[in-house]
Amino acid sequence: MAELTADAVVSKVKRGEKIDRADLSGINLANATLEGASFRRCDMVGANLEGAKLRNANLKSANLCEAFLSGADLRDANLDNADLEGANLQRTLLAGANLSRANLEGANLQGANLSGARLTHAQLDLANLGGADVAGAVLTHADLGECYLGAVKMMKAELTNANLNDSNLEDGDFTGATLADAQMRGIKARGAKLVGAVLAKADLGKANLTNADLTNADLRNATLTDAKLEGANLTGAKVFGLTAKGAQLSGIKADWLDNSPNADGSVRVQAAQVQAVLAGEAIVPPARESTRSANHRYFGRGDVLRNASLQFDEGATVEIESLFESCTIALGRGTELLIGPDGVLAGCQITGAGNITVNGKFFEATGGKKNGPAIVGAHQLVVSSTGAMIGAVQQPQELTRFAFEPGCQLRLKITTSKDGSGNGNGAKGGKR
Amino acid sequence: MSDLRNPIGSATEKRTLVEEGTTFKGSLTSTCPIFVKGGVEGDIQAPSLTVASSGTVSGKVKAGELKSEGALAGEFDVEKVQLSGSVKDNTVIRAKSLEVKLTTSGSKMQVVFGECELEVGDQPVREKAADKAHENGKSVPPPAES
Repeated sequence: MAELTADAVVSKVKRGEKIDRADLSGINLANATLEGASFRRCDMVGANLEGAKLRNANLKSANLCEAFLSGADLRDANLDNADLEGANLQRTLLAGANLSRANLEGANLQGANLSGARLTHAQLDLANLGGADVAGAVLTHADLGECYLGAVKMMKAELTNANLNDSNLEDGDFTGATLADAQMRGIKARGAKLVGAVLAKADLGKANLTNADLTNADLRNATLTDAKLEGANLTGAKVFGLTAKGAQLSGIKADWLDNSPNADGSVRVQAAQVQAVLAGEAIVPPARESTRSANHRYFGRGDVLRNASLQFDEGATVEIESLFESCTIALGRGTELLIGPDGVLAGCQITGAGNITVNGKFFEATGGKKNGPAIVGAHQLVVSSTGAMIGAVQQPQELTRFAFEPGCQLRLKITTSKDGSGNGNGAKGGKR
Repeated sequence: MSDLRNPIGSATEKRTLVEEGTTFKGSLTSTCPIFVKGGVEGDIQAPSLTVASSGTVSGKVKAGELKSEGALAGEFDVEKVQLSGSVKDNTVIRAKSLEVKLTTSGSKMQVVFGECELEVGDQPVREKAADKAHENGKSVPPPAES
């Protein structure tokens, strides 16, 4: 039973008196004006504060278990270490409030506004934050285990080291959120938006990320073991050190991945290799920081190169977004040659055991200019969905590794090296 | 292409199966999907053709969809192709869409191509306008790091 009546509380607040440590359990202060009031360490178990105006109020260490705070205005209030277990905070305004170390276990925060609130080390396990606005809030080390976060707005929220194990994040918006080192095992994040989110070292084992948008997300050294990623978009995601053993990767969308240690885009995984790299079954050579710049050649848009002879040594990476006409390019073993989406190679010849990726266009020489196959001896040739190629490819004796993505345009004639003993694939089965 | 293990769906669904150890010679036309675990030498016309790793198809093929882990030889006119396995000498594949994945293990190849021709998608066209843009230099500058 409360030791003060509701009228007495309102009067005291009007007079600017503090009501600290009072027993206000079960009190009815619905719609009361209590802005800036001090209720530190008050016992307000089961109190009715529906629609109460508590902006800037001090409720530090108050006991608000099972309190009814629906629609209350608690903007910028101090609820540090407050106990709100099982409280009803539906549509409550908590923007800018301090809820550090607060106990919100099982609380109903559906549709609440927590934007910019501080919730460090807060306990939110089993809480309902469905549709809540938590944008820009700070939740480092918060416990959100088995929490309902469906359609939550957590853009740019800070959740480093937070626990979200077994929570439901379906259709939540975590764009630009920081979830580094977060525990996210078994989360249900179907359709969740994690664009640009930082998930470095996060544990997403057994997470359901079906159709989630992880575009440009930072997943370096994260764990996605046994996770479901069907239909997820990972274009531009940073995946260096990512573990995805046993993950379901079929149908993932990724035009490319960034596999560089520093997430600087220096090691790109092209679409055709994405699944293999994520599954840990293909290795993309890491960037050698000290030599990368020296070994990287870039021919930008607007440049035109004609009748040039170029030679790139072993280990070099060459990116062409320019127009090359009637050039000869010699690649050392393992040299990466990337023809970017705007790159055009016309009448050129590429020789040597390099790895060639065509995202742009490649046209072999025609008529009198023709001088042997357009590509000779390549170790690997990948033509992506945006790539187009007309020409002959002469495989070396150990044969070229080919990959073609749906959408590519090809008029290719593949031949094998005429010297040596052939490739064991010479069954003349054709009916031509 | 793990779906090749059960490429047609349930066992009750209609399909034409050429079982391992069987070689069919002649012309085969079907309104059902065809699944080849053995060998076919001749012409095939079907809505879809699936060739298992033990299968070989040699001849003229017209199909909506072709999935192959086996050996192909001859002329293939299809809408959509998913390839692994091998493509023998003197083979022509014409398709609207072709998918060949890089192998996921070691240096093994997903597809071993013999001397063959691939005609996939529309005829690539060199856009002169794009070339002009290159020549005029009216374009995005290269990244600073380069």
